[in-house]
Amino acid sequence: MPAFSFVQPSTTDEALAALRQGEPGETVIVAGGTDALFELESRRIPPQRVISLRHLPWRTLSWAGESLRIGSTLPLRTLESDPDLRRRIPGLWQAVRAVGSVALRHRATLGGNLGRSSPASDLVPILLALDGEVDIVGIQGERSLPVDQFVRASRTTALGPGELIRSIAIPEARPSAFLWQRVRPANDISQVGVAVAYSPTRKEWRIAVGGVVPRPVLLPQAERLLSGPSPDAAELRAAAQEASMRVPFSTDRRASEAYRRQLVAILLQRAVRAAGSRPSPSGAP
Amino acid sequence: MTASPARLTVNAAPVDLTPVPVDERLLDTVRWRLGLPGTKEGCRTGECGACTVLIDGRSVLSCLALTHEFAGAAVTTVEGLEGDPAGARVRAAFEAEGALQCGYCTPGFVVALTSLLKERGTEASAEELLEDLGGNLCRCTGYAAIVRAVRRIHGEMP
Ligand SMILES: Cc1cc2nc3c(=O)[nH]c(=O)nc-3n(C[C@H](O)[C@H](O)[C@H](O)COP(=O)(O)OP(=O)(O)OC[C@H]3O[C@@H](n4cnc5c(N)ncnc54)[C@H](O)[C@@H]3O)c2cc1C
Ligand code: FES
Ligand code: FES
Repeated sequence: MPAFSFVQPSTTDEALAALRQGEPGETVIVAGGTDALFELESRRIPPQRVISLRHLPWRTLSWAGESLRIGSTLPLRTLESDPDLRRRIPGLWQAVRAVGSVALRHRATLGGNLGRSSPASDLVPILLALDGEVDIVGIQGERSLPVDQFVRASRTTALGPGELIRSIAIPEARPSAFLWQRVRPANDISQVGVAVAYSPTRKEWRIAVGGVVPRPVLLPQAERLLSGPSPDAAELRAAAQEASMRVPFSTDRRASEAYRRQLVAILLQRAVRAAGSRPSPSGAP
Repeated sequence: MTASPARLTVNAAPVDLTPVPVDERLLDTVRWRLGLPGTKEGCRTGECGACTVLIDGRSVLSCLALTHEFAGAAVTTVEGLEGDPAGARVRAAFEAEGALQCGYCTPGFVVALTSLLKERGTEASAEELLEDLGGNLCRCTGYAAIVRAVRRIHGEMP
């Protein structure tokens, strides 16, 4: 791995100035580095420069009423340690805890997880179920995109050259759950992950599934089979059946398509039951 | 912007970063440049925890870190835990339980556990400590004694 130039901007303006240097393909962005360092080594053409986001003032977390904004470079371990997160958005807390080990989460970030856009991501499904929005800054200005439009395929997002993820917004705290299946609990990748959330304002469920090629997906057909905040067993079975038929699973070295279909049906029912049994954050039924 | 940052400290000693190539991993800086062999290379892919060091008191995988990222930060390796009260408690428990076989994974476990104690103190239960140690692998599968050491630490907590 031949040497590149290394820059560590401490303001957004400095970061954008660094992005303006040279061709986009010559630059690698490092947040927590837990994926980007593999990218650095596997590149056929070594990068000209590395931009480290570690010193940017984006390691933030702020609640405003029911909504939450998470800075893109906040370490996941800091996010999971927020005293309100587990109670108010349990599914996000569970999903963050699912990522790697504690030492990995001391560095790994939400921005990096979205930037990587892995089909097996544990965070993309819950961000879909919570209707998360990606706040983007770039040389051309700022914009915001729903997570559903942001992630496209492995290592492919809507992010243009000269753009960075600054923060992620969760519009409302929701009763929610994230359940996964994998071989080893820590430092392994999920075979299937199921995220569910019930919106108290829209009075509807969101269901998203990871471990899917080319990217985690929302399942509106299954969502519509669940009527209220505590669906009965028949509704749950119908939604599970719908999900297991609908999701475009495939077979890879981690699991077969058939196994994934069976898993999703079971995890979905458990997740909805877990989320539905918790009181909604605002105290409404 | 810090283009070529000056230094970091490793076990409280300043290290000049000028001669360190920008693509050098913290693991290699610690082991080979500074000659501190306590930090081990198990997988180099973030999956085993053998390379765990503290950065500003928190556990980090040194195989997945570029040294230059940490200009200005304080790195502590297992060798630097000598005078650290949390580190001393962990070490004493590992010694009391004989919690090592070949010893290759031990520094990683000791550093990771020290970080958990610093972070959560007496608040975390033994079960939580064990769950949060899940990223450290022992290839001798000597887990029973390690689990006892964790329980011993917890029992000793004030
Ligand atoms: C052992 C191991 C276990 C893992 N386990 C899991 C797991 O269980 N679940 C899971 O979901 N993931 C897992 N991962 C993958 C990875 O750790 C996560 O995706 C993590 O969230 C990435 O965050 P990061 O800050 O380290 O990203 P980085 O490695 O710094 O970046 C990842 C990509 O995103 C880009 N990027 C980063 N930040 C920004 C930004 N702000 N704006 C624009 N682009 C950006 C980078 O250029 C790079 O391409 C694992 C990785 C390892 C090594
Ligand atoms: S060597 Fe770093 S985690 Fe295995
Ligand atoms: S004691 Fe040998 S690897 Fe753990």
